[in-house]
Amino acid sequence: MFGYIRINKAEMKFREFDVYQSYYCGICRDLKRKYGAAGQFSLSYDMTFVAMLLTGLYEPETRTGTCRCMVHPLEKHETRNNIYTEYVADMNALFACYKCRDDWKDEKKLHQLLYGRVLEGRSRRLQETYGEKLRRIERLMQNFEEAEQQQEPQTGPGAQDSGYSRLDTLAGLFGKVMAEIVTVREDEWADHLRRFGFFLGKFIYLMDAYEDVETDIRNGTPNPLKGRYGSPDFEEACRTMLTMMMSECCSAFEILPILDNVEILRNVLYSGVWCRYEAIHEKRRKKEQDG
Amino acid sequence: MTDPYSILGVARGASEEEIKKAYKTLSRKYHPDANINNPNRDQAEERFKEIQAAYQQIMKEKTSGYGGQGYSGGTGSQGSYGGFGYGPFWSFGYGGFGQSQETGYEEEAHLRAAGNYIRNGYYREARTTLDNMAERERNARWYYYSAVAHSGLGSNVAALEHARRAAALEPDNISYRSLVQQLESGGSWYRQRQASYGYPTFGGGDLCMKLCCLEMMCNLCCCGGGYGVRGMVCC
Repeated sequence: MFGYIRINKAEMKFREFDVYQSYYCGICRDLKRKYGAAGQFSLSYDMTFVAMLLTGLYEPETRTGTCRCMVHPLEKHETRNNIYTEYVADMNALFACYKCRDDWKDEKKLHQLLYGRVLEGRSRRLQETYGEKLRRIERLMQNFEEAEQQQEPQTGPGAQDSGYSRLDTLAGLFGKVMAEIVTVREDEWADHLRRFGFFLGKFIYLMDAYEDVETDIRNGTPNPLKGRYGSPDFEEACRTMLTMMMSECCSAFEILPILDNVEILRNVLYSGVWCRYEAIHEKRRKKEQDG
Repeated sequence: MTDPYSILGVARGASEEEIKKAYKTLSRKYHPDANINNPNRDQAEERFKEIQAAYQQIMKEKTSGYGGQGYSGGTGSQGSYGGFGYGPFWSFGYGGFGQSQETGYEEEAHLRAAGNYIRNGYYREARTTLDNMAERERNARWYYYSAVAHSGLGSNVAALEHARRAAALEPDNISYRSLVQQLESGGSWYRQRQASYGYPTFGGGDLCMKLCCLEMMCNLCCCGGGYGVRGMVCC
């Protein structure tokens, strides 16, 4: 994934950070156990959040342990593991494979493909465990690729309009993928989780488009925000859209009966997700001032 | 239906947290998974369903002001993607989305059809009908319906844009204006909550430092942040 769904550490209690990190390290261990070192390198913050969300909602039996890391052999870290850290580790590996395939197609990076091969070999097991879910995700990813390849609207009447629906379409497809990830099973919470994941996914897609818009213009790669970039209300429009996504996402979140670690989850949803946005925004502002 | 608050055993004025606590305690006790060996498991399941319904109802009321559309779980979901109900069902189904008295008669047949689809939660069909109408037929009401249909399908960016256009074309129309407000209000609700969690700010590169420290820590902790963390944004 992209690493946008993260904590704002500055606003977090020490104890909360330790718990957050213990899940991060827990998933990392699951990844290592199931996918080896190649899997470990794919771990992202987004997935740590998903694991904590599902843990808070379903309250599964959780094992606490400690681990030493290869890179940090002197310090012991707390780890937490349960069925959801394992689930998330699987999803993480799956997306690492997609990403590798993507990069291979995009830029022909050989090492990405090799890395992907390693992971893919190990993730064949995934097909058996999550058959139907994987097929749905696969289909969505395909639709996404096709939609992205479609011609971007040219200027002229109606261009602005198709620009909006293009944005909603692409972000929406990504949102549906995210919805599949957070909806572990069809139970009493499936509707809310799906809605939550859908808008979180839309947020992630938009953030990514926002971050990459300059590069995409330079490289001629597709980006639905291209048409708006440079207009005086660009920043404001982006912020409004991003806020809209998060508010939809959070309105679904607040319905879920989550008590454990809810403050950590809220730190992410109300503050952490804006860290990267602020960093990019600030960088652009400075550049504008200097230039 | 019995009072949902008494089913959960909480007072009417209880906070969301208290309600969630009460729900958790009860659902742990009555959840089918916890009653597999219980001889009275049918009764337990009945009770669980009751608790579930009560919780959903209370939270639906409590959170109806959150987000653009408030609550929509489970209803009005014929639109798309198995059970997806992003729909503004509650807000429009009972509220502002009434019959349009002023234009009711003259309304063009297609537009009227789109309105009916929307009222019944068939957003996809409404979308098709609307999209098939010619550019010159697209008046304020068209944009209004279009906004509701977009919103029902989860396309909130286009929804806001079209609601704004409807309101701009007919500034005196109250339902157009309130739709814009409704779509925007999610933002103000969110920003209010955000205030208590601290918005990340740049106090002389302060956040930057902290972000980078976290980045390094996590990288060292177990494994490299991997592709998930694509370079550091700030430093």
